[in-house]
Amino acid sequence: MNGNQEVIRVEDLHKSFGSLHVLKGVSEVIHKGEVVSIIGPSGGGKSTLLRCLNLLEVPESGHIYFEGVDITDKNIDINLHRQKMGMVFQHFNVFSNLTVGKNITLAPVLLGKKKQAEADEMAKDLLNRVGLLDKIDQYPNKLSGGQKQRLAIVRALAMEPEVMLFDEPTSALDPEMVGEVLQVIKQLVKTGMTTVIVTHEMGFAKEVSDRVFFMDGGILAEKGTPDEVFNYPQNPRTQEFLSKVLY
Amino acid sequence: MQFLGIMAQIWSRYWTLFLKGFQMTILMGLMTVAISTVFGALLALMRRSNFGIGKFKPLRAIVVAYVEVIRGTPILLQLYFFYFMLPQWLPFMNLSEFTCVMTACCVNSTAYVCEIIRAGIQAVDYGQTEAARSLGLNSRQTMTHVVLPQAVKNILPALCNEFVAIVKETSLASTFFIGELMTQFRTINGITFRVLEPLTIVGIIYFIVTFTLSKFIAVLERRMSASER
Repeated sequence: MNGNQEVIRVEDLHKSFGSLHVLKGVSEVIHKGEVVSIIGPSGGGKSTLLRCLNLLEVPESGHIYFEGVDITDKNIDINLHRQKMGMVFQHFNVFSNLTVGKNITLAPVLLGKKKQAEADEMAKDLLNRVGLLDKIDQYPNKLSGGQKQRLAIVRALAMEPEVMLFDEPTSALDPEMVGEVLQVIKQLVKTGMTTVIVTHEMGFAKEVSDRVFFMDGGILAEKGTPDEVFNYPQNPRTQEFLSKVLY
Repeated sequence: MQFLGIMAQIWSRYWTLFLKGFQMTILMGLMTVAISTVFGALLALMRRSNFGIGKFKPLRAIVVAYVEVIRGTPILLQLYFFYFMLPQWLPFMNLSEFTCVMTACCVNSTAYVCEIIRAGIQAVDYGQTEAARSLGLNSRQTMTHVVLPQAVKNILPALCNEFVAIVKETSLASTFFIGELMTQFRTINGITFRVLEPLTIVGIIYFIVTFTLSKFIAVLERRMSASER
């Protein structure tokens, strides 16, 4: 944690899907440079919370402040704020109609952040960092799951975001590909990027996080340092969950 | 053998009529597909628009009603309807029979093309949209740069199928002696009093057209799935 500058502030967030009340009043602050992992059982609202942070899901009530601006305000141009929040999905969602290189350059060029030539240079640099430079002119269907996810990560980084959101980035991967993706995230975290990760990789969460949230039943049931949450959980639900999970 | 002989005779004497009919059929098919693709795309976008007054989405409702009515009534009825309705409602425009029939064909086909395009767009994984939006693209940019290029792969083969269907459906326009293949059959039938021979020739021409198209579609589909692999 460098400094104490607030990046994301969530206030009393509620979200329902039909009659299913998924988020039941979540409040939390995430600071600049902080790495936060959200763990917990399926259906607990982890992904929904993360998706609310860039308004892929629109909450019913409550507020989300991103760098001091209330992005739940109807008059705000959410597209501008999404540019500063990179997101990585469980199912990669790389653009299948574009080459690997174009996957990266599409948004920065289209949104006027970079000229095509500049963006191409950046794409090469980013791909080099994740070992995919030789794939730059190929289509994503030629990539493995792990390669697709690494591409998805650098695609988000190409927008030079302030925050990175990871929604179960390794859950759809073959076991032998989990490592390479986690390695990339680890590198990223070291650069001081503010990061929120929803994950089932407990060992990884324990290793890289500054703080860990245990989410269950639509609330943040427990939060603390990895040591506190993993080694000395207070909430019985956390204890039960961790006892069932191997890591 | 006599049958084939008469067929050959009819062909050699009237092949220009068959050729004219063939041209007319193709012209009607192409025009219908071209026009209905434009309007079908517009309607598909209207169908997807979220413009609404409260819960009521007027654009969506209009398109849904239109598509349902067109799909729920026979095309022959629609042909009659426009053939008699248009000149009566717009007498000052002096519409030709061809225009009236073409209008009916386009109105009919637009409904189907609209559904083809809508389904093609819907079949694109929603994750693609989410990823684009999460990067900060607005909905239009997402549509033009990510969703539509992928949807085209679903839409093109289905559109060609629709063209095949239209080519066959234009035969109904012979009810009004428009001059396409079926009309030519009726003309030749009137001159020669032969039914089966000219009908067989017309059938063969239809089949050649549609069979060629289907082969073309198959190639198109294979090409497109090749880039998917």
